[in-house]
Amino acid sequence: MDTADYAIRIENLGKEYVKGVKVLDGVSFDVLKGDIVGYLGPNGSGKTTTIKILTNLLTPTSGRAFIKGIDVTKNPKEALRSVGALIEVPGIYDYLTPNDLLTYFGKIHGMDKKKIEERIPEVLKKVKLQDWQHKKIGAFSTGMQRRLAISNAILHEPEILILDEPVIGLDPKGIKEIREMLKDFQKIGMTIFLSSHLMHEVSETCDKVIFLDGAKLLDYDTVDNIKGRLKAQVIVIKFLNPVTPELLTQLNSMELVGSIERRNDDVLIGFDGDYETSFKILAQLMAMNYKIASFAPEEANLEDFYVSVMSDERGVSS
Amino acid sequence: MSFKNDVSSDMNHVFLNVAFEMKKHWKKNRILIVSLLAIALPLLFYAVPPMLGSDYAETANQFASSNLGFITLMIIISAAMFTGDSISGEFENRTGLILFPTPQRQNSIFVGKYIASLLATWLAVGWYYLVTMLAIGQIYGFDQVSMEFCQSFLLALLYSASAVSLIYFFSAVMKRSISSTLLGFFALMMIMPIVSLVLSLGDVDTWFLVTHSAGLITDVLGTSGVSGFSSGPGGGGLSSISPDFYEGVWVMTAYAIGFFAAGLSVANRKKMEG
Repeated sequence: MDTADYAIRIENLGKEYVKGVKVLDGVSFDVLKGDIVGYLGPNGSGKTTTIKILTNLLTPTSGRAFIKGIDVTKNPKEALRSVGALIEVPGIYDYLTPNDLLTYFGKIHGMDKKKIEERIPEVLKKVKLQDWQHKKIGAFSTGMQRRLAISNAILHEPEILILDEPVIGLDPKGIKEIREMLKDFQKIGMTIFLSSHLMHEVSETCDKVIFLDGAKLLDYDTVDNIKGRLKAQVIVIKFLNPVTPELLTQLNSMELVGSIERRNDDVLIGFDGDYETSFKILAQLMAMNYKIASFAPEEANLEDFYVSVMSDERGVSS
Repeated sequence: MSFKNDVSSDMNHVFLNVAFEMKKHWKKNRILIVSLLAIALPLLFYAVPPMLGSDYAETANQFASSNLGFITLMIIISAAMFTGDSISGEFENRTGLILFPTPQRQNSIFVGKYIASLLATWLAVGWYYLVTMLAIGQIYGFDQVSMEFCQSFLLALLYSASAVSLIYFFSAVMKRSISSTLLGFFALMMIMPIVSLVLSLGDVDTWFLVTHSAGLITDVLGTSGVSGFSSGPGGGGLSSISPDFYEGVWVMTAYAIGFFAAGLSVANRKKMEG
């Protein structure tokens, strides 16, 4: 692949804080320009370490990290020029105002005075802090500080946005706003690399996901492909007839039905996940003259996949 | 980017960091506090004698010598206040997570911090000498402001640089701001003067201790005895051997350059782990 096609390239990256204890072990992947990629893994899997290496906060023990073809460790000044980053929960100088802080970072990114003065109200508006431009950051709540840190990451309109757990400390409304903001950024061609342990967030926001566990990369694919690879093994049926113990007994005795469970007014039928089987169960129910309001194989989600790959990796039988 | 442009952008980043650090010192009221102290201390030497019915010293240099008895204390307080948390604070408070992933060399950040600490400390020294000079002008006439007084000012600036460098090094080495600030303060205020005192009892020349060299700040005024307290707190203590002028200047310069370089080197190797 041409260097021009990828925004981020990680090559055989390794990191040991203590000799012999690998936090990252030969991790390699590319993030293409314009993609929103989720970086998933349990605590301690190496997500933040990867991001810190990518932003030159750490040096790798082995391997290399590139941003737009520039080695971050060798030339961080050049590599980070097109990057906006939010890493973990940074401390923010609480005696300063957003205006002080953003003015400094704008100048460091080479923005002129006029541009800075235009952009500060714009980005603060984006994160709903427009009324706080000249107030001391010490008076901000955790969520407001988080939003300010996000506004700092996008101030210079970076081509690549690297976010480490960006929605930590935000309420559901704030999370939704950040999700919408990220989608807007993608529309203007921004590449977003986003680490999180919140599957739903990643599923809603990202096009592709990388699964990391035990310092190693487990999988990297599009969200749609991953969902497609998982077969739904439960059918949720809503009957017009009342759900009686007799009905449940009859369903349980049906061919191809693995298990039966009642959830409120629904009946959950476990099966082998094959579409053919699903069709045959439906045909049997129709033949038995049951009045069915809905019949839906439960959609698999990233969380199911995450649990399945983590279990496989650890040798847990499901 | 060409080498010339690269150097130019690094210089610009250093300048931006100096300005940002000065703003931080200002917003934390540190500059105000130290400036008030640097103005109030010498003002006391001007205001108190008439209130107690005492006379001022006979000569302007004698007046300056007693007035500057606390300049080393002032320098140590300023250096500790402005430098103690300059590097360790970014790691301890996790502000480095927002400061470091930016398109600038870490060198530019840390050099900027050093220059800002030095300028802020020099500002305090400047206030102290300005008030003393105005007092001399008021009492003895401005023609009595001697060349020795100007030499003393330059030596105070040099001692400030060595004190800032030493504390800057501690700030780079230590993890907690409070540790680097206190260690820097006590090293210059107590530990070195005590070592100097103990060694001088055995007639050992403590030329290598920067606090010993600091005695020059008042010694150049030509009013200190060869034996006795050469200056105020932290300024050499009881010393049987006055510092040699060139030796003292050399030691202060060596501390300023050596500890700055060592601190910068350690700071550049520090990473945001954990």
